Amino acid sequence: MNADPVFQDRALSVVGMFNEVESRIVRSLPEAISVLLEEHFDGLMVEGEAALAVDQATNVRQHFPSLGITCLVPPRYDSEIDASAEKQKITLISDPRSRQSLRRELEKFVSSLGRHSSPAAEGIDPCHSLIGNLNQFSAAEILQMSCLSQRSGRFTFKSGRGNSEIFLQHGSVRHAVFGSLEGEAAVAEIFRWRQGRFYFEEGIISQVQTVDRPWAHLLIDNLQKLDETMELVSVPQSLQS
Amino acid sequence: MKDQALETKLRLLTLQLENWKKLHDLITYGLDSAKPTISAEQERQFTEIRANLLQETAHILNELGILDGLSGKAMVVLQRGVSIRGVRELSIEDVRRLEAEWNAVFTKLGTIQGQLKSQRKHLAGQNALTYYFNRLFRRPALAH
Repeated sequence: MNADPVFQDRALSVVGMFNEVESRIVRSLPEAISVLLEEHFDGLMVEGEAALAVDQATNVRQHFPSLGITCLVPPRYDSEIDASAEKQKITLISDPRSRQSLRRELEKFVSSLGRHSSPAAEGIDPCHSLIGNLNQFSAAEILQMSCLSQRSGRFTFKSGRGNSEIFLQHGSVRHAVFGSLEGEAAVAEIFRWRQGRFYFEEGIISQVQTVDRPWAHLLIDNLQKLDETMELVSVPQSLQS
Repeated sequence: MKDQALETKLRLLTLQLENWKKLHDLITYGLDSAKPTISAEQERQFTEIRANLLQETAHILNELGILDGLSGKAMVVLQRGVSIRGVRELSIEDVRRLEAEWNAVFTKLGTIQGQLKSQRKHLAGQNALTYYFNRLFRRPALAH
């Protein structure tokens, strides 16, 4: 994301030379969110003044918990900005003078993105009690149905972004995991998925408990968050900052 | 292999074409008499796209080596299209001219984009060694 990609294009010219990296240039936060909602990208690079870049990146983080985010900022910035970036798992790259160093930093970020993404694996067993596509039924719909019928078991979601699991026990979410995310953050991530497959295995219970809120609260919170994400796409940029 | 200059040209051209298409969408909306409402948000978008095009067009056309041929046409579109409401109030003749000039710029940019993508595809099949080997041995003969 770069507000002035024609004239401030140092990093863009570096990224453009990477092999096997698909990039998309956007100028504003609503544009970035609209592109990220398509689920084709693993990372976001925000270029700009430190405070604004971290603020925008933090905003994106609220809606995309597993996304790799980095901010490319001018060399001097407040320690507060550094702390808030670290809290949100946002990598800060202080714009190095040499092109070589910049290339190294950006390569490091890009290579960190590939680690947890894997192609959607098949391997669905015909004895699974519920199988489907996320483009027909959203995660919210199928979880709502399963929780209302007091099910216990494991949901596995497989998409281009990786695999994730949600464990239910007597109609409540007990544990959720996606990559390094666990608990409610993992549930929030899966809620946004609109591509991929899922299946349910009855009776598989998790010993670990990372979610302790009732399903209804999780549902309301995540649907509200999803609405806020969609609103961001339509809100003019001037009202963001 | 990838060529830095070629990638830069393609990136600039893609950004220019994106804005040029968005401008067309809003102009078309303005000219559509079936859509009477023009919102403040649409006018804001129009101004933002126009502002980007005004500051970037000359630079991008210059980088692509087509400044002389196209900057006049692009400026006609940007100067006449003051706002969506302004476009709606243009005479039929002015609207035709606006569309013709927009189309001339769009056609040229689209053609160049195709040529650059073709060059990129050709380069992707080469490594640095074959590229320089070809450049060395396939230079045109100089006439004295």
